[in-house]
Amino acid sequence: MSVTRRDFLIGSAALAAGATVTTPFLLPKYHSDQRPKRSRVAILDAQQYSAQLDQILAAGLRLFPINVRGKTVVLKPNLVDYISGNAINTHPLLVLAAAKSFRRLGAKSVIVAEGPGHQRDTQLVLSQSGYQQYLRDEKIRFVDLNRDQMIRTPLRASYTGMKHLWLPQTVLEADFLVSMPKIKTHHWSGVTLSMKNMFGVVPGARYGWPKNILHWKGIQKSILDLCATVPVRFVIADGIVAMEGNGPLNGIPRALGEIVLADDPVAADATCARLIGIRTQPNRAHSREREIPRQRFSGIHRPGWRSNHGSHKSIPSGAGVSTSSCTVTDADRKSVPVCGPQGNTLSVLERIGHSLPSVDALPLLSPLKNDQRTPE
Amino acid sequence: MLRLDTARRFRRPSCQQRLHSHGARHLYFTNRTLTGSGVLRLPNGALLGLAAQESPSSRGFFDSNEISHYNVPTVTTDPIVLSDLLAELALRQLPCGGWAALASSSQPAIEPTCYSALALDSVPVGDIARAQDFLLRTQNPNGSWPVFPGDDQEGGWITSLVVMTLRDLVPAIPARLQGIHWLLNCAGKEANWFWKWKFRTADRHVRFDPDKYGWPWFPDTVSWVVPTAFSILALNQIPCSCGGLEQIPFRVNRGVAMLMDRACPGGGWNAGNGVVYGGALAPHADDTAIALLALRDQAEDPVVQGSVDYFERTAPALTAPCSLAWAILALAAHRRAIASLRSSLVALPDLSSIEDTSTLALACLAIDYRRALSAFGVTV
Repeated sequence: MSVTRRDFLIGSAALAAGATVTTPFLLPKYHSDQRPKRSRVAILDAQQYSAQLDQILAAGLRLFPINVRGKTVVLKPNLVDYISGNAINTHPLLVLAAAKSFRRLGAKSVIVAEGPGHQRDTQLVLSQSGYQQYLRDEKIRFVDLNRDQMIRTPLRASYTGMKHLWLPQTVLEADFLVSMPKIKTHHWSGVTLSMKNMFGVVPGARYGWPKNILHWKGIQKSILDLCATVPVRFVIADGIVAMEGNGPLNGIPRALGEIVLADDPVAADATCARLIGIRTQPNRAHSREREIPRQRFSGIHRPGWRSNHGSHKSIPSGAGVSTSSCTVTDADRKSVPVCGPQGNTLSVLERIGHSLPSVDALPLLSPLKNDQRTPE
Repeated sequence: MLRLDTARRFRRPSCQQRLHSHGARHLYFTNRTLTGSGVLRLPNGALLGLAAQESPSSRGFFDSNEISHYNVPTVTTDPIVLSDLLAELALRQLPCGGWAALASSSQPAIEPTCYSALALDSVPVGDIARAQDFLLRTQNPNGSWPVFPGDDQEGGWITSLVVMTLRDLVPAIPARLQGIHWLLNCAGKEANWFWKWKFRTADRHVRFDPDKYGWPWFPDTVSWVVPTAFSILALNQIPCSCGGLEQIPFRVNRGVAMLMDRACPGGGWNAGNGVVYGGALAPHADDTAIALLALRDQAEDPVVQGSVDYFERTAPALTAPCSLAWAILALAAHRRAIASLRSSLVALPDLSSIEDTSTLALACLAIDYRRALSAFGVTV
């Protein structure tokens, strides 16, 4: 059979078109997974914000083999907006305790950095939320990431289709980036935890308030692109008072009494989600590829964990970390090593997670009043 | 502003010696009573403001008795603070003519440059011509302005602010016209029929009328309050809607309708919407203030009236200079009392050391609010 020049050209064109269409689906959407091979998570009991957080956190950090000596540590709290009485922001006392702890561990400098997502006047949020005074007293530098020097940064994943983002210099130059989220439900994304917290590094001066382009590109996809590009080295999640319901701003404060520490944001978020009764599930396709989201939250939209106050005790009451013995205790109060040879704490927490009731199964001890119900 | 010659007023040698040995540019002994305040020109040319002592660091130099002994005349602190802030602003100008967003940064940005140029426009400090030249140099080929030089060239909301900043510059007329055309072609995503339909039918978590649209922060996103308000202010400054600018009245009206539609239920404005998932959002001070500036011509509208009333009640609690400055401008535009707000602003500690340059410039504009309102095209 002879191939004419016309056949050849048509065939070539068809091949090129086919390649153009299929290549984006075949190419890997990530560069590399920079998380530790074995993830460690610790859940610390802390019933209130107090000066004692300093000691609790210092003890918790000793569970992790982290080395910040001579490094620049950037603490990225969740500081979105201020509404009196609402548990929107990571509490300044926890941030202060973290700063002191990292200083004691030999950090060259500790910077608190955030680009509030809703409120353009960063200084107003700092002042109203109490940060300004604490940071001034402890001589801790604050950088407004919404207006920091911006650097064109190629994205290390391509879920959104964006090739690059302008990101703040302070974050890109950090040796050790710590995500410090508030454990909250979120009316768009289900929950907002250590990975969603990274939206705050996207400069509002470039992308607007809120960082609207990320919403349009897809919140979950943007989270993946951001976390692949700006690796979170450690997580300190504020669950002492969390938020349920119509988060991230107008939810109901909820005493959870926990701080979650982790050296892996995915493990941290999976744990936090379980703590508030939201079931997570392994993302098998992603885990096969060793991709960032080894776990993802169930796709069910849940703006609240819908138990009345106090019923979170259905979470195993002893599930916490004994900071001295470096173990967690599961629902049966059996100690399980956290940092021992068994390694992957996530699997340990998986066991605890199985004993946790799912959202649907959470017992409602008494019917919710209308004003406690989550608007949907 | 009153300037006193130190050698003439401070005859006592020890006193002069202390002044001469003082190297800092900004020593001033302010307190809110303003008793015995004044401004001194130090031998090195720096300005020294004097009032009764308050700062512990300054207490070692003079006390109020000493000041009264030297019979320093009383002046208001506003000019003192203003001159101090303007001097600081001029110092922060970068060699390229622009200003960086933060004092610690060397990356020039358009927004702080616009506010700074407006603030320094009428005083013989800083190089306004260089700032204007910087703005003209950074325009995108499509007529818009980027957030900073080197940014992607799609343009953004900042275009409206540049159009206002270059208002009185004759050589900038073609650039401004290009900017205005870009603004007229830029609209929130809900202006498109498909998204309008989606927001009407499938996506109704946020309460708003997609027929009423304004301007986005950046193309390909929906309308937000601040970009819409600035665009209305910019387009309202155009004297005629002819020669390809016929769309101006239509776009301004749509923008005004959008602002009215997105007001918070209790008055004021949040970033973009008033109600999400059935819950009312709390208003933001700066969003509210900028929206009120843009709605000056709709002062009689109940939504505007309610928002002005709300803002007048809540603004005295503001503690941050940026929000306070915008509140002064907005309430002055609506002829409400601002004296106490101005006092609060000038009394804020360490105003001149504010890291954020836009805030520094806005504080200057708020102190000199009449000129600032004129720059924004708002007549009182």
